[in-house]
Amino acid sequence: MKKRGFLQVSFAWLFAIIVGAFILFLTVFIASKFIKTQQTEISAKGAKEIGILTNPLETGFETAKSTYFVMPVESRIYNGCESYGVFGKQIIKLSQKNFDKWSDTEIDVSFQNKYIFSDKYVFGKKFYLFSKPFEFPFKVADLIYLTSSDKKYCFLDAPEEIEDEISSINQENIRYENCTETDIKVCFSLTSAARCDIEVNYNAKYVKKRGKTVYFEGDSLMYAAIFSDNDVYECQLKRLMKRVAELSVIYADKADFISGKGCHSALKDELLSLREMALNLDSSGNLASLRNIADEIKSKNDVASCKLW
Amino acid sequence: MALSKRLKKAQLKIQQMAFMLMALTIFFALVGMFIIAIKLSGLKESAAEVAEENALLLVTRIANSPEFSCGESFGTRKLNCIDTDKVMMLKKNIVKYNGFWKVSNIEIRKIFPVSSRDKLCTLGNYPDCNIIRLRPQNITSEYSNFVALCRKESFEGRVYDKCEIGKIMVAYSEK
Repeated sequence: MKKRGFLQVSFAWLFAIIVGAFILFLTVFIASKFIKTQQTEISAKGAKEIGILTNPLETGFETAKSTYFVMPVESRIYNGCESYGVFGKQIIKLSQKNFDKWSDTEIDVSFQNKYIFSDKYVFGKKFYLFSKPFEFPFKVADLIYLTSSDKKYCFLDAPEEIEDEISSINQENIRYENCTETDIKVCFSLTSAARCDIEVNYNAKYVKKRGKTVYFEGDSLMYAAIFSDNDVYECQLKRLMKRVAELSVIYADKADFISGKGCHSALKDELLSLREMALNLDSSGNLASLRNIADEIKSKNDVASCKLW
Repeated sequence: MALSKRLKKAQLKIQQMAFMLMALTIFFALVGMFIIAIKLSGLKESAAEVAEENALLLVTRIANSPEFSCGESFGTRKLNCIDTDKVMMLKKNIVKYNGFWKVSNIEIRKIFPVSSRDKLCTLGNYPDCNIIRLRPQNITSEYSNFVALCRKESFEGRVYDKCEIGKIMVAYSEK
């Protein structure tokens, strides 16, 4: 009798324990899923906010603009780039540190009208955004350079105009004097005594970084090459050329349209050739050939009685 | 007799517990669904807020973007000046710009000199119109900014620049 009573009690307990454990497991599972969803939501919203925050960086008269933002926790901003489609895509992904672990997010936020130049990912709490217009030969876009306050850049032997620009934007993590040992050294002259992390040949228009060389035209692309990963640079350059191509079509159409008002411009054919060449650009190494036609178009537009831009 | 009575009592207890556990599970499921519903409505709201924020920040700067800005076409470089000849060409090629600014529509409206009635611009009636709407949809929720609207005009074979006062409106989706 005693044994039967013992069995009866233990069955009830066993039943309660199994179902209780199942409910507990379900609760923990749902809670962890919920936290993950929350993290994904925060990351997606954060990435989108970063993209939107770059809207005021569109320049007017300014030659360069700088701002910063601070994240509430240690964050990683992933910079992705896709060059297919009419304009390609700028992808931003945000991952944040929670309980000493980086949140894993699969949500990409994309923008067609942004061009962010940075390493494949930048991390820290405080981030600087610095923008500069890119003209080829007309204004194409404002290039945005994203850096973390944890990474300090020191420009050695930079040309005077670059030094002036650096001092005018007054960004804490970019300097050209009083460099420290931990700074990333950007050398404009090979005679620089210091160890160089990035070499810039301002006259031959190339930047050497991590054993790879990328080519630039104009100061805005030079900064882009300095601050960004080589793959990001090449991809964003292709996207910029796609925008050059579409703007060339608009200007060629405008040239046709205003010629009906007696405002003749002989740039239509050149603009359409620029479009073809821009669409076919496969790497920064071929940028110089495009520069020639862009310069030719610019000089013709500058002296035209009816300027297209 | 005593054994079957005890067994019945035990079965009743198990049934009671099973019902209790089921009730608890249903209760938690309902609470969970309620929380998810609140979260989802919050998510929709924050998506709409982000879209609104984008429109607000974009409208102050869009006039200076290359597809709209006057550049040096009308003398020196001007701020918040829209080249309407160029915008008409953008309207012609607008299919390629689908999703480019992440807004539902962009409208440019001439406000001075005042027009007697609203007329949408097409390539056929431009510049005798007062509204350039990049996409055909009507504008509902919007942010706007005052701008100068400039174009090339000709009179008796002489080409001149004509600038008027206008408003650029950026519409965003509230959904």
